[in-house]
Amino acid sequence: MSAARGAVPTGEERKPCVSSDCDPARLDLTPAEGYLLSRIDGATSIAQLRQIGGLPAGEMVTCVERWIAEGVLVVEGGGGQLGVTSQERPVAEVPLPTVDAALDLPVDTQEAVRDFLGRLGAPYHEVLGVDFSADVRTIKKAYFALSKKFHPDRYFRRELGAFQDPVERIWRRILEAYELLSDPATRAEVQKTGGGATGAAAEANPAVASPLQSARRMRARLTTLAGHRKMVGERRRKAKGFFESGMAAFRKDRWLEAAGSVRLAIAFDPQNEAYRAAFPDVQGRAHEERAKQVLKEADACYDLGDYREAFKFYEEATHYRPFDAELHHKAGRLAFRLGEDLRKAKEYASSACELEPESAIHHRTLGQIFAAAGLDANARRELQQALRLDPKDAEAKEALRAL
Amino acid sequence: MSRVIGIDLGTTNSCVSIIENGQPSVIPNAGGYKTTPSMFAVTQDGKRLVGHLAKRQAITNSKHTIYAAKRLIGRRFDDGEVQRCIELSPYSIVRGQNDDPRIEVGGKVFTVTELSAVILKEMKRVAEEYLGEPVREAVITVPAYFNDAQRQCTKDAGRIAGLEVLRIVNEPTAAAMSYGFGKNVDEKIAVYDLGGGTFDISILELGDGVLEVLATAGDTFLGGEDFDRRIVNHLIETFQETEGIDLRTDTMALQRLKDAAEKAKCDLSQRETAEINLPFIASDANGPRHLSIELSRNSLEGLVHDVVQGTLKTVEQCVKDAGLEPGAIDQVILVGGQTRMPLVQQAVADYFGKRPHKGVNPDEVVAVGAAIQGEVLVNKDESMLLLDVTPLSLGIATFGGHFAKLIERNTTVPVRKSHIFTTTRDNQSAVKIRVLQGESEQAIENDLLGEFVLTGIRQAPKGEPEVEVAFDIDANGIVSVAARDLETSKEQSITVNATGTLDEGEIQQIIEDNELYEVAVK
Repeated sequence: MSAARGAVPTGEERKPCVSSDCDPARLDLTPAEGYLLSRIDGATSIAQLRQIGGLPAGEMVTCVERWIAEGVLVVEGGGGQLGVTSQERPVAEVPLPTVDAALDLPVDTQEAVRDFLGRLGAPYHEVLGVDFSADVRTIKKAYFALSKKFHPDRYFRRELGAFQDPVERIWRRILEAYELLSDPATRAEVQKTGGGATGAAAEANPAVASPLQSARRMRARLTTLAGHRKMVGERRRKAKGFFESGMAAFRKDRWLEAAGSVRLAIAFDPQNEAYRAAFPDVQGRAHEERAKQVLKEADACYDLGDYREAFKFYEEATHYRPFDAELHHKAGRLAFRLGEDLRKAKEYASSACELEPESAIHHRTLGQIFAAAGLDANARRELQQALRLDPKDAEAKEALRAL
Repeated sequence: MSRVIGIDLGTTNSCVSIIENGQPSVIPNAGGYKTTPSMFAVTQDGKRLVGHLAKRQAITNSKHTIYAAKRLIGRRFDDGEVQRCIELSPYSIVRGQNDDPRIEVGGKVFTVTELSAVILKEMKRVAEEYLGEPVREAVITVPAYFNDAQRQCTKDAGRIAGLEVLRIVNEPTAAAMSYGFGKNVDEKIAVYDLGGGTFDISILELGDGVLEVLATAGDTFLGGEDFDRRIVNHLIETFQETEGIDLRTDTMALQRLKDAAEKAKCDLSQRETAEINLPFIASDANGPRHLSIELSRNSLEGLVHDVVQGTLKTVEQCVKDAGLEPGAIDQVILVGGQTRMPLVQQAVADYFGKRPHKGVNPDEVVAVGAAIQGEVLVNKDESMLLLDVTPLSLGIATFGGHFAKLIERNTTVPVRKSHIFTTTRDNQSAVKIRVLQGESEQAIENDLLGEFVLTGIRQAPKGEPEVEVAFDIDANGIVSVAARDLETSKEQSITVNATGTLDEGEIQQIIEDNELYEVAVK
């Protein structure tokens, strides 16, 4: 079923592709979902995706539908609106409060808070204002000094206005930085990643992961996705190689080789229009070349008396030369002579008649085949037609009298 | 400048303090005593007595005189500790409608929170009489190892007593604050707090005007009262051997024995022997019987040796949690009356390899620390900042009865950690989360704080919905939970069933009821 231009494909025939507005790195995918996403390339329909596997069929369709609804995928002619999937919320999304002398907070402290908000998303050691390799003593001193400024007890019952929330966030971040950096167990891990943001992990209820474990899992998923993108790039490169060698062969008139290469190029990069456009021409010539080869073989077999083999070759040749009347006739006649498959003989003979109705011989052969099959009315008609076209055809007269 | 008092609400004795002209002072009651027994009684004619007055008539009115209510606060009736109390207490403990323990005295049933409120009210009155003005704000201390329910109930008790509780502070931390007040030192401190009913050990670091708790541990059912009980049992057994009478059946005798045991215990801290004389303790066919037993310090130490060793095990774990060696501790501070016992002092000194600091009064230092913290909060005193920790890990029950920790013990408070939950069945519309505090891997062995039900989750295949649950421990060590549906940014409705605590309605009722009564003044 092909979609008419302008109509929206429906159901399983739809061919989704990844939306350019969507960044797969921000999605939360299981390995199976990641595999499915890698298979979505705008040329594979949902029906085909089903067979690829990775997810049970029902789940796969639900997943794809969800991605379409969320705007992760688009379908030509239609698509879901862009939705928001679960993402990491950036750490420093606090709006900068304006300095207000009327608040119960010294102005220089307000400035300090504003300044600190800029550093909130920075790696932990920067948050504390220490060197990357600072020892625990230095870290603790920095923590003590900062806590005197930002600990909530300092602001007990004070009217902080717009600074209330930022101060709390700053304190939490300082505490997080101190705990992770001062504990030898977490220090190494945090230093590696820099601890720019805390990750959120969706887990089966209610087993939960620590922020570090979630960060690890997120990294693993991103690695898988990066791997997938790398693989897609490699396929495209391969496709290009095939196409180029195909074109080279084409220029050297090696049609069959060229057709094979271009076909591979299309398989590896189905979205490439250039490859598809080039193919019919290449294929046409390849067919012609093949036809010639096959006919040569057929004739050779015929001359040797190996009619059965000859017939097979003639049959193949008709695929490459579908409009060759003479060829069809030859095939039909040979089939008739072999006497094994009259139906086939009739088909080829009747094709020959259709392709070239003015040939008496074609009609005669067809008539003879009908007669052999016991279809006298048809036989008479064809033989009469043959005689009409060539009154001197003795064989046709003979056949007609025999009915 | 508002006046904030610091109250040490102890198992056996309570104390109140205030900062005057930058100096801490302990407020004496009308009788001149700096501590007040945490006791409440209702006499035969319905009069309510508290403090020394209650203690004085305890022997003759033991069934209606309540002491050590702190051992019951915030617990469930079925807790092992409550059952032990039922065995040992002369007053009657019954099951309340929230499955909490309640005490029947003078024909009325009181919640433990109410009883604690009576004591707090008395301490408030003592302060007001001394200062000549009303007092409305207080900082109240609790054992460091108290869980969320115990802290909530203590805070509620303060409210019923007519006080705004600015902060619930851990007792060892308060003691360290008192010690560090006005000192410019950089030290690692261990506070060994063995009071009447509870034991706490905290390791802290003091420096740059910041007091940071590194680790804390304890046992909320271990204290001086247990030492007394060992002595009482010894006396009963000795008497049984010599006279053939079991004094356990006689409540008045038991009360006399308890009193005498406590006195002997205290005497033996100064002297090598003590005589326990209780004439007419019992009678049988041959006439009245008298108890006269001599107790030596050695015998006493033999009786309680394992209890003291038990505390050292907890100390060891705490020091390890703090990431230190015993030798790294610069100062050891002893808190609580029971630390006056030479055996305890020696054991602690041996463990840390140094003599404990002698400059603090073990009965008063906690109240003073509470007053200091009040001053820091209310009067913008920048001299000291306290960074305390939560003593118990906070987590949830997971499939298979396991306990998953979300916030580790000894995490600095206030702290908030959020985690994302999802469903385990298709189209599951609600998720039940059971919040627990404790260290065991098995959920059943930890304290259940409450159950939270998140409803209104959208119908979706399992594993899809995302609900962020934020666990918050405030500076009092009290837990609260909020939930948010990440997909819609909607706040999820949660239902909390806190165990053992009173709800708002009940508290209001109690406040109203208590306005009708006034405790008798001497």
